[in-house]
This record gives sequence, structure tokens and C-alpha cells, in this order.
Amino acid sequence: MQLDQLSATFAALADPTRRAILAKLSSGARSVTELAEPFKMTLPGVSKHLKVLERAGLITRSRDAQWRPCQLDAKPLHDVADWVENYRRFWEQSFDRLDDYLHELQKKEKKHGRKK
Amino acid sequence: MAEKNKDAASTADREIVLTRVFDAPRELVWAAWTDSKHVAHWWGPTGFTNTFQEFDMRVGGVWRFVMHGPDGRDYTNKITFLEIVKPERLVYDHGGDDDCAPLDFHVTVTFSDQAGKTRVTMRSLFDTAALRDLVVKNFGAIEGGIQHLGRLAEYLGRM
Repeated sequence: MQLDQLSATFAALADPTRRAILAKLSSGARSVTELAEPFKMTLPGVSKHLKVLERAGLITRSRDAQWRPCQLDAKPLHDVADWVENYRRFWEQSFDRLDDYLHELQKKEKKHGRKK
Repeated sequence: MAEKNKDAASTADREIVLTRVFDAPRELVWAAWTDSKHVAHWWGPTGFTNTFQEFDMRVGGVWRFVMHGPDGRDYTNKITFLEIVKPERLVYDHGGDDDCAPLDFHVTVTFSDQAGKTRVTMRSLFDTAALRDLVVKNFGAIEGGIQHLGRLAEYLGRM
């Protein structure tokens, strides 16, 4: 995944209101009015947040229906999940290699020890 | 640094913690982590090789290296050593090249003796405030119904 995209995702997620919007969308598409309601926000205020989420690729807005429902797009979240998973795999494998390497080192040490 | 470590509980939810017991004495495991001639042999996932440009193992010293992936891609790395307590504790900041500055880690590696074996515990603290936020608060909330995230949530829950 592109790092700048990952950064955009993180930046979009750094705001509690935007996270709450995403949480709401996880149970289905919503209109802007529906999304504004629980936050006691103005429609332009919510629209601002929606734009950030849209740019980060976290939501899509349908152009078909007149009420232009917002929908969650989980792809960037999958990327974040993959990224964390990769980090863990990186170290699991490094540890495996370190384990092998330490065995090698110790074998060599033993050989030297016996020669003395 | 001290600020980051003062309260383990407050950082526990924004860290990735990995631990492994190695069947080798602590001095040797420490050497394998801190001597450049050893580190190059194991650092990185299966199939990776490393080219070291600079390895200055002292507090404030920098370790610059390029990891060569099996797919031919190169990854630039920069590690700055912050604390070196032989053979117990190694603290460093790990970043990529300037392009991936927002993804820096603050890493603490501890080495403890366990009857001739050595337990290595590695705590990677995400330094990006946004990522921290993400890890702490949102995954649980946004997770609903997205099956793929279940695995991560479970993992983050253990962190």
C-alpha cells in the first residue's frame, strides 16, 4: 500500500466525529441528514467531515439516488489491517531467522571450545 | 522517552508487543542484536538481505541500512539508538526514509535471562498520533460486520 494513502487514512481516522460517522455507516448507508443528527451538527459541518472521509477513500457517496447516501468503503481499513499484520510477520520471521542464527553461532562456539 | 515509559498501562493499547524465548545465553543474544556483523544475518523477513551504510552503536548514534526484498524492492531504514544498557535493554527510534516519516516507531527491546535461555520482548510504539488514535479507539467501533477486521481487532486487543 502507498504510504501517503495510509497517512491519509490515519489522518481521516484521527478525528472522533469522523470515527463515529464510520461506526454509524458500518451498519448501512445513511443520508447526510441522518448522519448529522446525533452530533447536533450543521449540514455543512458534517459535509466537511464527509469530504475528508471521501478523500481518504473511507466512504463513497452514491450519485444515483437523490438523497446521495454515504457508504462505508472498508478497503483502506483492510490496508491498515494488512499493514499491521505485515509488521508482525516481519518480526515473526526475523525472530525465526535469529533463532537459526543463534543455533549456528553456538555450534561454532562449541567446536572452538573442543579444539582448545 | 521517559514520558513514554512512565506508565506502561497507558501505552499498552498502542503498542505491538512481540516476545520470543531463544535457546541461547543472554550475552550472545545481545551480541546478535547489537553487533553489525551479526545483525545483517537475520534482520528482516525470509528472503531479505541487508546493506548497512552506517552502524554507529552508541546513544544518539544512527544505523542506516537498506533492506532488499525478495521481489527486488529496496527499503530504506534509519534507526537512532536512544538507550543501550548491555545486555538488558535497547531503545531506538525506527523510521524509513523521509517519505514514510509519519510511520515511525519507538522500539524497546528487553533481554531477560531465563535459566540459560533468553526472553526477548519487543515493544513497538507507534509514534504517529493518528495511528495511535486509530489503534486505541476506533477499530472496535468501526469493526462491526467487517469480517476482515476481526482478525486485527483481536490482535490489537492483545496488544
